[in-house]
Amino acid sequence: MIVSMKRLTLVGIRQEEADILKALQKAGAVELISVSADDDGGEGARRLDETAERISRFSESLSAIKPYAKKPGFLAPTREEKLEKMQQDVGEAEAASEHIRTILEEKKQIDARLEKDATTLAALVPWADMKQDMASVTSTKYTHCFVGLVDAAAEAAIREQEAISAEFYGEAGNRAAVLACLKEDARLVAGFLKTINWTDVIFPRMKGTPREAMAALEQDMAAGEKRLAELQTELESCGVNAAVLENAADALLIERDNLAAETQVEKDTSVFRLEGWVRSDEVDKVEQAIRSVTEDYYTEYRDPAEDEVPPAVLKNDTFITPFESLITLYSLPDARAIDATPYMTPFYIFLFGIMLSDTGYGLILSLGAWLFLKLKKPTGGLKGLATVLFWGGVSTMIWGVLIGTFFGLDYDVLLGTKDVFPLLIDPTSNPVGMLLFCLLLGIIHLSCGHLIKMKMCLGQKDWQSAVFDNLSWVFILIGVVLAALPMASGFFDPPLNLSWFTALHLDTVGLVLLLAGSAMILLFKGRDKKNPISRLASGFGGIYGATSYLSDILSYARLLALGIATGYLAMVFNTLCSMLMGGSGVMKVVGFLIAVVLLIALHMFSIAINTLGSFVHCARLQYVEFFSKFYEAGGRAFKPLQYKTKHVQISK
Amino acid sequence: MLELIKANLGLILATAGAVVAAAGGILGSAIGVGIAGEAAAGLVSEQPERFGNALVLQLLPGTQGIYGLVVAVFIALQAGLLPGGAVEVTVAQGWRFFFAAFPMALGGLVSAIHQARVSASGINTIGKKPEEFGHCMLMASMVETYAIFSLLISMLLIFGV
Repeated sequence: MIVSMKRLTLVGIRQEEADILKALQKAGAVELISVSADDDGGEGARRLDETAERISRFSESLSAIKPYAKKPGFLAPTREEKLEKMQQDVGEAEAASEHIRTILEEKKQIDARLEKDATTLAALVPWADMKQDMASVTSTKYTHCFVGLVDAAAEAAIREQEAISAEFYGEAGNRAAVLACLKEDARLVAGFLKTINWTDVIFPRMKGTPREAMAALEQDMAAGEKRLAELQTELESCGVNAAVLENAADALLIERDNLAAETQVEKDTSVFRLEGWVRSDEVDKVEQAIRSVTEDYYTEYRDPAEDEVPPAVLKNDTFITPFESLITLYSLPDARAIDATPYMTPFYIFLFGIMLSDTGYGLILSLGAWLFLKLKKPTGGLKGLATVLFWGGVSTMIWGVLIGTFFGLDYDVLLGTKDVFPLLIDPTSNPVGMLLFCLLLGIIHLSCGHLIKMKMCLGQKDWQSAVFDNLSWVFILIGVVLAALPMASGFFDPPLNLSWFTALHLDTVGLVLLLAGSAMILLFKGRDKKNPISRLASGFGGIYGATSYLSDILSYARLLALGIATGYLAMVFNTLCSMLMGGSGVMKVVGFLIAVVLLIALHMFSIAINTLGSFVHCARLQYVEFFSKFYEAGGRAFKPLQYKTKHVQISK
Repeated sequence: MLELIKANLGLILATAGAVVAAAGGILGSAIGVGIAGEAAAGLVSEQPERFGNALVLQLLPGTQGIYGLVVAVFIALQAGLLPGGAVEVTVAQGWRFFFAAFPMALGGLVSAIHQARVSASGINTIGKKPEEFGHCMLMASMVETYAIFSLLISMLLIFGV
C-alpha cells in the first residue's frame, strides 16, 4: 500500500536550528521543502561548496590509493562505523589527503618532464654525430646559418649550390643538415630550401654537443624514473589510510546534506521555519527527534493539498517488501493511486519459475541468493533483488518438477520412473499443450489486472467504468477460454476429460459471457457521447481494442519459449560432457575430471544467462501486460534528510 | 557423388537447417554483444562502478545465440543427427526441417543486432542517469520478444515434422 504523507511545518528557535536539523537527519524521516528566501548573502551556499570540494578532494585521494588498500573479502558486508569516529577522522584524513595530493602532483610533474625529455631526445637523434657545440651553430656577422632536416635525395641538390656550405649528419632517409651562406644570399637560399622540402630545426637550449645533451637527458630521465618509483612506493604505503579517508568522506557527505538542508529553511534573527513531508506513521519519530533537542518548538501536520505532489512511499509486510524493488525499477506509483506490489508479487514468483523451470537451477539460484543475503548483508534495492531471486528460485524448483528437468536431466531417467515426470505437462513432447497453458495463464493475469482496476473504480464510486471498461473485458477473456476449451483439449496428452465441463454447458456459458462482454463495450464504451452514431463508433473502437489483447496474450508464449531454451541448453551441456566421459583407462579418469569442471562452468553460465532472461521477461510481463490494465505510474521517491553514505554504514 | 547426395538428401537438408538456425542466432549475438560491448567498455572507462549494470545490458543481445543453438539441437535430435540417434529422414521432412530453421535464423540475426543498438544506447544513458537502468533493460528486452517468437515458431514447426 501507499503510505499517506503529512505536510510538516516546524517553527523553532534560531539558536537551536542546527541541533534540530542534526536530530532530524539522524531520524531520517523528513523530506525538506525549500522555503528559504536565500537572504543569508550566499553564506550557506558558500559553506556547501566548500564541503563539496573537500569531499571531492577526499574521493580523488581515495581513488588514487584504493588499489593499494586492504581489500574487503568477496561478499564481505559493508563496513560499519560510528558517526563520532568518522567525524574525528576528518582531521587525519585531511593530512593524509594533502600528502597523497602532493605525491600525485609531483608524479604528474615528473611524468610531464619525462615526456618532454623523451621528445627532445628523439629530436636530437639525427644530430648525434655533430661534433660542434649546439650553441655555437648560429649566424654570424657575415654568414647566415640554416639548421634543419631534409630528405636524403635532396642532399646532392644542396651540395651543387656554390653559395651554400653544408654539413650532413644522421641516417640515410632523413638527413640532419647545417648549412651556411653569406648574409646577402640568405633570402635566395631560403627560397631554394622551400623547393626541396626543408624543415627548420631549433636546437634545444642545452650545453655541449648533441651527444652530450642526449647523455644529460638520459641521466635526467633515469633520475626521474627513480623518483617516480620512490613516489609509487610512498603512494602504496598510503594505502593504509583508505579506511580513514572513507570515514571522513562519508562524514562530510552527511555534513553536506545537513548544510544543504539548512539552506532550505526560512529564518530570521530569532526563529526559523522548516517545511517538509513526513510519513503519517513516522510523526512520532519526528516529534521524538525534536524533543530530544528542545521543548520550545511548534509543529503542525496536515494532509497534502490538492495541488501538492507528495512523494510516494510504499509499505508492505516482510514477504512483499522485497518486491517493491521491482516497482522502483519500473516507476513508483502516483502518490494518490495504488501500490501494485502485493498484486504483482504472487504472479512474479509464479511466472518466473515457469521460465527457468529447472529444479537444479532453482536450487542453485535460491542458495546463491540466500548466501549473498546472509554474507554480504546488502541493503536497499540490492537486498530486494536478491530476495526476489531467492523466491524465484523456490518457484523454479517447484515448476521443475511440474514441467521441467533437474540440471537438464529428465526426472524419469533420474528416478527410473516411466512417463511420470514432468507431473503437469512436458513442454518438449507437447509444446502446443504447454503453449495453450501459458496463454491461459496470461489470460488469468490480464483478467486480474482488470479486476484490480475494477476495485479501484469502485473505490472512487465510478461503477460505470468498473463494469463497462473492465468487467466487460474480464467477461470476454473468460468467455474465450471457456468457449475454446473443447477445441483446445485435443492438444493435451492425454486429452482433457471434459465430461463435467460439457455437462454444465460451460462452453455455452463462455459464449454468452463473450457476447455479453462485447455488447457492453459496443453499447457503453462511448457512454459520455450524446450522438448515437458516434457512441456506436467508439463502441466499435473499443471492440477493435481486442487486437491489443491478442498481442498481450500471445506475449505469454515467452513462458514456453524461455522454458524450452533453458531445458535444451542444459541438455546440450550434459550431452557434450557425457561424450567426454566415454573414454577408457586413464582417459576415462581424465575425461571425467574435465567433464566435471566443464559441467559446473557451463551450468553456471546457463544459470546466469537464463536467470537474467527470466528476470527481465517476467518483469516485462508485469510492467507491459499487467500494469497497463490498472497501474498509474509517475510517483516520485521519498528522499528524506538522513545519513546517506557511500563507503561505510553508520552503526547505531 | 550425385547418387550419394540423392540418397541422403533428407539428412543433408536437416543438417543444413540446423546449421542455418545456429549460424543466424550466433552471428547475430556475436555482432550484438560486440556492439553493446563497445558502448559498455566506453562507459567503464569513465565510470568503472557501472560495470555490473553495463554487463547486464551487454549480455541481453547474447540470448539469440542460445536460441539458435537450441533450435539447431532440436533439429539434430528430431532428425537423428546426434550420435546414436539415426532416424530415417525423408526428403520432404528434410525440407521441412530446413525451412523451419529460417524464422530463428533471420529473427535471431536481425533482432540481436537491433537489440544491441538499444542496449548500447541504454549503456550510454545509465552513464548519465544510473537510475534509468531498469527502463533501459526493459526497452532492450522489447526487441528480444521477437527473437523469442522466432524461437517459438521454429520449435513448433520442427515439432510438427
